[in-house]
Amino acid sequence: MRTGTRGLVALLCATLMVAGGCAKKEMVKPEEGAPMAAPTPTPAPAPAPAKTEEPMAAQPVSEAAVKAEAPQEGVKGEEAEAALERIYFDFDSYVLSQQARDTLYRDAEILLKKQPASKVSLEGHCDERGSDEYNLALGEKRAKAAMDYLVTLGVPAERLSTISYGKEKPLDPAHTEEAWAKNRRVELIIVK
Amino acid sequence: MITKRTFFLLTIVVALLFPSLPQAQETYREVTAAGANKLTLAVDSPRRLGGGDFPGAGEIAEVLRADMTLAGLFTVAAPAAPVTAAGIRPGEFDFAPWRGAGVDLLVKCGYTLSGDTLTAEFRLYNVNQGREVLAKRYSGRQRDLRKIAHTFSDDILESLTGERGPFTGKIAFVSNRSRNKELYLMDYDGYHVQQLTRNGSINLNPDFSPTGRELVYTSYRRRNPDLYRRVLATGAEAAISTRRGINVTGAWSPDGKQIALALSKDGNSEIYVISRDGRQMKRLTNNPAIDVSPAWSPDGKQIAFVSDRLGKPQLFIMNADGSGVRRLTTNGAYNVSPRWSPKGDRIAYCRQERGFQIYVINADGSGDTRLTGEGSNEHPRWSPDGRFITFSSTRDGGEAIYVMRADGSGQTRVSRGARKDSHPTWSPRW
Repeated sequence: MRTGTRGLVALLCATLMVAGGCAKKEMVKPEEGAPMAAPTPTPAPAPAPAKTEEPMAAQPVSEAAVKAEAPQEGVKGEEAEAALERIYFDFDSYVLSQQARDTLYRDAEILLKKQPASKVSLEGHCDERGSDEYNLALGEKRAKAAMDYLVTLGVPAERLSTISYGKEKPLDPAHTEEAWAKNRRVELIIVK
Repeated sequence: MITKRTFFLLTIVVALLFPSLPQAQETYREVTAAGANKLTLAVDSPRRLGGGDFPGAGEIAEVLRADMTLAGLFTVAAPAAPVTAAGIRPGEFDFAPWRGAGVDLLVKCGYTLSGDTLTAEFRLYNVNQGREVLAKRYSGRQRDLRKIAHTFSDDILESLTGERGPFTGKIAFVSNRSRNKELYLMDYDGYHVQQLTRNGSINLNPDFSPTGRELVYTSYRRRNPDLYRRVLATGAEAAISTRRGINVTGAWSPDGKQIALALSKDGNSEIYVISRDGRQMKRLTNNPAIDVSPAWSPDGKQIAFVSDRLGKPQLFIMNADGSGVRRLTTNGAYNVSPRWSPKGDRIAYCRQERGFQIYVINADGSGDTRLTGEGSNEHPRWSPDGRFITFSSTRDGGEAIYVMRADGSGQTRVSRGARKDSHPTWSPRW
């Protein structure tokens, strides 16, 4: 029941984001989504126990898959060269949605191919509805989830670090569903 | 002792002029009894007893009235009409007009201003018995006026109830009034705001040591949420936990020797206890879920904390060695920010439901009660006597610091200005 609701919310959020600023990124998604779709029938593969990080680490994403997709990425890659995309989360969740995984996949591409020497700080953020103290831990979980996934995609862990800002640095200070969805995020910041 | 005095820039001369206190307390046991008919307390206008003129002296009475109103034990009478020339000592004035006005307890005060030295003399009377209950005299500088008055407010509560008031205490809090989130200190009623940190970063979650001389707090000044300890009197600071990941929600143990906090150095947020210098460390929780926000019981034997190990953040209690974890809250889908009352019987916390609301629950899980309802209210922290709770609220549009009685009555905004003030914590008695 709860999982169902979560899935729905996730779907809604995903739809919202697609409808918003992420439209052009969406074009890449179907191709990438295909090989990964098998283990995840819903965008949020998250029954309650899935809050451990195992499911993410166990995600069957192979180096080969990454490489196979590479040419397509290259085509659209020109302008997005330095732009690592941020990922978004459901409320009170640190589970990576399919869309978040797709985004991290593109980020990993950039980090492996175009910025192979860069170091990246993964900044976890939360929306203002959560409690400030709890959000510090939640933001950390989000950043760690993103980092773990990048590592499974082949980005060396030594190049990655995490920091949680809880709800201290909202992207959008408005008190709306739209702003909250934007603020529940992990930013990838090149530090070196 | 010397440090304390320097810190407050105040020399207090306490003169117990009449040693009739024990009797007085017995007489007034009835005062604290809850009932429909609260006693009426009046504070007479301050009288000049000598020295120079002091136009600002009326503030002494205003402070006393405000403190006594928040105390909630009495009906505080409106300021009386201009007074006669009578004095403040026993035999120097007539009780009859006060009795006639329905006043049960009367505070009289007088002052002498000599240079910058303000001496204030206070007398508390039982009007019906025509008897003096308490008399004190304090000296300080002119600018210590409010502190002197708060001190007598604390005395009044001690005299009438046996438990000293918390009105001389300060509230440490976080504010963005300097654009960044820095730590500030103010009187409990919002006066005398002092900026503590100036590191231009994000500073969070101040918590006083049991002596009130130090704070721990989390700061991002070195691009990681690390835990710092600060000596209030000198401003000296030391980074005491700078482990990789979060070093947050530090809470000083009641004996002052340890600090409980949440660290994510081992992969996810867990509760640890470290020594006050940060060198020794003991891990208390071991769970893949989020564990955060430890809060000590006043006897130091138990720790309440927040965990989402069952899917959503809820309050749990464990023994101080990490054993015997049990769930505390069973209502509500999102309960956080626990703080144990100084008496040990109750735990204040906040629950998410249309923003946050502040609740109290007995330590055995019974008596779960909502205290706030207007706006979003977060971060409850008890006054050292357990009578009051300070918290932050968005009810006036921004975010400001409030105080209320422990039963949720008397909710009063204390921080001023349009900036966002949050994370209040009430100092121990100095």
